[in-house]
Amino acid sequence: MSEFYEGLAEIMEVDVSELSTDYEFGEAWDSLAVVSTIALIDEVYDKAVDIQLLQDCKTVGDIENLISKTDG
Amino acid sequence: MPQISSGQSVCFDDITIAGLVACVPPRVVENSEFEAQFGSGVADVTKMTGVQTRRWADDDVTASDLCLAAAHKLIDQLGWEADTIDALIFISQTPDYRLPATACVMQAKLGLRKGIIAFDVNLGCSAYPYGLWLASMLLSSGSAERVLLAVGDTSSRVVDSQDRATAMLFGDAGAVTALEKLPGAGRSHFILGSDGGGFQNLIIREGAFRTGEGEGQPTPSKLFMDGGEIFNFTLKAVPTLVKDLFEVSGFGSDHHDAFLFHQANTFMINHLAKKAKLPQEKVPINIGRYGNTSSATIPLLMADDLGQTLVDQETRLAMFGFGVGYSWAAASMPTQKLGCAEVICL
Repeated sequence: MSEFYEGLAEIMEVDVSELSTDYEFGEAWDSLAVVSTIALIDEVYDKAVDIQLLQDCKTVGDIENLISKTDG
Repeated sequence: MPQISSGQSVCFDDITIAGLVACVPPRVVENSEFEAQFGSGVADVTKMTGVQTRRWADDDVTASDLCLAAAHKLIDQLGWEADTIDALIFISQTPDYRLPATACVMQAKLGLRKGIIAFDVNLGCSAYPYGLWLASMLLSSGSAERVLLAVGDTSSRVVDSQDRATAMLFGDAGAVTALEKLPGAGRSHFILGSDGGGFQNLIIREGAFRTGEGEGQPTPSKLFMDGGEIFNFTLKAVPTLVKDLFEVSGFGSDHHDAFLFHQANTFMINHLAKKAKLPQEKVPINIGRYGNTSSATIPLLMADDLGQTLVDQETRLAMFGFGVGYSWAAASMPTQKLGCAEVICL
């Protein structure tokens, strides 16, 4: 499993095997999770994603799309 | 002043820090005091910020009171005659009054000579390296032979007690640094910058003269912080600032004895240090004990974590202040053996 998935699992406090592109964050996607994820993306991909767009993400797939659309 | 990507860059020769004293209020506020209000939110926030305890001033104590106590101790320890001090700079976002400048009030209370230079500067997270630059300018221009730089805030008085993002983060502190000219002290390098495009992300809307903007906000008279936006700004600005400071100073990671980051939150400092590939043992963090003390974080770190080292040894320190404004400043500064570097309790 990728470094990104492992980091995200830690942030969401779930087992990494539970994460897939369809995984929905629900209520757990709070401001602390968003900030932690910004740092994770910066660390793994060296990209600073738009925070508003990141906040709007509902699934792991949404985040992956945002990362691929963001310039490094 | 040459322009580089992270700001304006300048250097000074033969300016030294003679000593510094930080002052904190006696009241220790533990995380457990917030549990009734925020429940499990306390643990969540603490995991990120790292703040375990903070010092909060009583309602009748201001940042200048903390700085006055620090200044008295400092002047005494250094054995400086009051009339040899030519300038007093006070940097704070929690001054005593909207007017006059708190530095003027402090001049009289400290018994400093009438006719000295005294003024306030409104900066927070970037205050200390900005202040060292200002003091260096006063000294190198010949405007002053000795300068006191006071920085401090009582942020506990402006946080929104209902807002878990800020209610537990901040602590109160003041610090005073004595600077003077010293031939052979070596060269200090500074980088200073601003981006007011993010002014609304860390702000107290009410209390000054632009009115009517706070409608719709829960408590416009209290501190508002968009933590995510601030974090994003930091991630973009600070790694470049670190790199540029190393470049303009010619002193890299190996040549500095410590990297002093504004104590914004533990998670952020660790991330910035890792990204800049700085050795962890050279990046002291004391936000766990004091919280984010705004303008005072860096001198509090120097007086507390590095106090004995700064008295015993010569060092070169790298400092990075960043946040509210947005405003940022970095300094690479040599220190001689300080006459005094300690923390006192009011």
